[in-house]
Amino acid sequence: MRGRPNLYTDYRKESAVLPNLTQKFWFVVLLFFAFSLCLIASDYWILLLTTSFLIAVAAWGLNIVSGFAGQISLAHGVFVGIGTYTASVLGGVATTYVIGYELDMIIWLPLSGLSAALIGLLIAPISVRLKGLNLGLVTLALVFIGSHLFSNLKFITGGAGLGRKAAKLVLFGFDFDEGLVIGNLILEKNQLTYILALFVCVLAGLGVKNLTRSKTGRAYSAIRDGDIAAEAIGINLFKFKSSAFALSSFYAGITGALMFSVSGGVEPGTFNLIYSVTFIAIVIIGGGGTVLGPLFGALFFSLMPGAIQTAMHSFGFLGQDLALSLGQIERVIFGLFIILFLIFEPRGLWGIWFRLRNYFKAWPFSY
Amino acid sequence: MIIFLQATAEGLALGAVYSLVAIGFVLIYKAMDVLSFAQPALAVVGAAFISALAVDRGVPFWIAFIVGIVLTGILSLIIERTFLRPMVGEPVFSVAILTIGIDILLRTVLDNWIGLNPRYLGDPFPSFGNFGSINIGGVVLKYLEISAFLTAVVVIILLSIFFKKSKYGVAMRATSFDQEAALAQGIDVGKIFALVWFIAGMLASFAGFFITGGFNTLTQFSFISALRALPAVVIGGLDSIPGAVVGSLIIGLTQGYVAYFQADMESLVGFPLGSGFSLVAPYLIMFVILLVKPDGLFGTEEVERV
Repeated sequence: MRGRPNLYTDYRKESAVLPNLTQKFWFVVLLFFAFSLCLIASDYWILLLTTSFLIAVAAWGLNIVSGFAGQISLAHGVFVGIGTYTASVLGGVATTYVIGYELDMIIWLPLSGLSAALIGLLIAPISVRLKGLNLGLVTLALVFIGSHLFSNLKFITGGAGLGRKAAKLVLFGFDFDEGLVIGNLILEKNQLTYILALFVCVLAGLGVKNLTRSKTGRAYSAIRDGDIAAEAIGINLFKFKSSAFALSSFYAGITGALMFSVSGGVEPGTFNLIYSVTFIAIVIIGGGGTVLGPLFGALFFSLMPGAIQTAMHSFGFLGQDLALSLGQIERVIFGLFIILFLIFEPRGLWGIWFRLRNYFKAWPFSY
Repeated sequence: MIIFLQATAEGLALGAVYSLVAIGFVLIYKAMDVLSFAQPALAVVGAAFISALAVDRGVPFWIAFIVGIVLTGILSLIIERTFLRPMVGEPVFSVAILTIGIDILLRTVLDNWIGLNPRYLGDPFPSFGNFGSINIGGVVLKYLEISAFLTAVVVIILLSIFFKKSKYGVAMRATSFDQEAALAQGIDVGKIFALVWFIAGMLASFAGFFITGGFNTLTQFSFISALRALPAVVIGGLDSIPGAVVGSLIIGLTQGYVAYFQADMESLVGFPLGSGFSLVAPYLIMFVILLVKPDGLFGTEEVERV
């Protein structure tokens, strides 16, 4: 590092997305690394990374409404569901019992985000009326109402226990199932979806980063820190709370649309209370109110099954009769981490990263 | 008319069961400002203890029943001591999420134990049978429902005497009024927290028995029934015990009426409400009441300061 990287001579430079050379450098390196992972990693890990990138998008959505704007939402999973079903109807295949229009991804992807955002806008006035715990409880009611609707609107969702096929991944007439051949390089479906997920994830992340340095983002923080005070300095609570809900639902809708298209099918029982809580937990474990936190949380949550499997494999536990199954071990660890992070590190993984970074910034000196 | 009475009776019994869990919610909320999402899981844990002792180990039912309830109380005491004590003074919502974490832990271990087949809880009166029922003028009342109602009434009376007369009851009320003032009066607030969780745990496991007893059986989905005490508490107001009871009865009756009269309601509104609507109706009511009265029917209104 040369010069004075932390000396900003004007406001524009300080509030840039990547303010100094080090950050620009690492951003490009990480992006390149993430991109090349799809060529070297095994199918299993590619799938895990794809889901973690998509979950990160939804987690960012929740972070906008809960972390930045301070409005509690237990119903994030429902918005993911709305996105999923919009995409499935627009981009899925019709059968005798479900409808589907087989449209292109360029149509259903934005629309599924928008439809979720629209429902989010409908919910938003509640957050103006209610605060804190009560808002959380109303959104809890929404989870149950939502899953009731999902399991009963059979022509859209296929009904509880049966489910339906999600949207087909066809972008500009190009079917992801066919794979792509560029010279000697053969990209299969999972690699293509990985690249798509990475692209969406980076875009969403930049969007969040951009939000934090805009007027809207500052208004959100003001509402979080004290909404009466925010109102007193001229922030329109209704407008900003609504936009926070709409934006967060948009992110959730995008995730929903893509996530189940990658896995193929979707069952309405997926969008239950635990599913919504998962996103809260991801934000908490990652670190709420930060840009990188939800990404950390999502990577942690989605890569954990792989890590546990690898660990058990190397210790020779795999295939043995354990008291708990693999999925149950994951859930126990997940539950434990929620508790431990809340007690010992409320700033989440981001807090750990923050302290590590600051430690090594001046290493070996203490400051 | 008979159908109406039947629905009312079943609704009241359900409401009584919910009120047991709901009072636990309120006690914890009043004492510590914590909304414990772990309460439904504790209810199921209680049922599991009873089932494990009475059915799997062959312990006489009443011993299993008492041991199970006390064990659940102790478990909830341990939970408070290890996980919630460090969180005193933290924002309400973080603690609520923490209890969701506890709920995930408890339920995962429990689901593993329950397995795929339903489990029975044993029979308190082998010759008489809690599986049986009584027919009063066409209205069929299960013994389990009657005993649930009676238990709830007795427990509520005992609790109100406890709060009015006993030393610890008064200390609990003082703590819920103002923690620091209570400390200054020489009340051991930590002990009160422990006591509150112990009582709440026992109440939950009472409810757990009535939710899963008889033909209802203990399955991996039993906790969803216990979770329905949450809308009950919210309707009544999070910090009011009478509110919790009234809210529970409202929820129970709603569920009973919807279960019996759904066809009539559908012809009234003109579109199908879907299967299992009686299970969602409580949440719809909670939704509406929160919008109209954010602090519930009996809750004290919160004064906001900048």
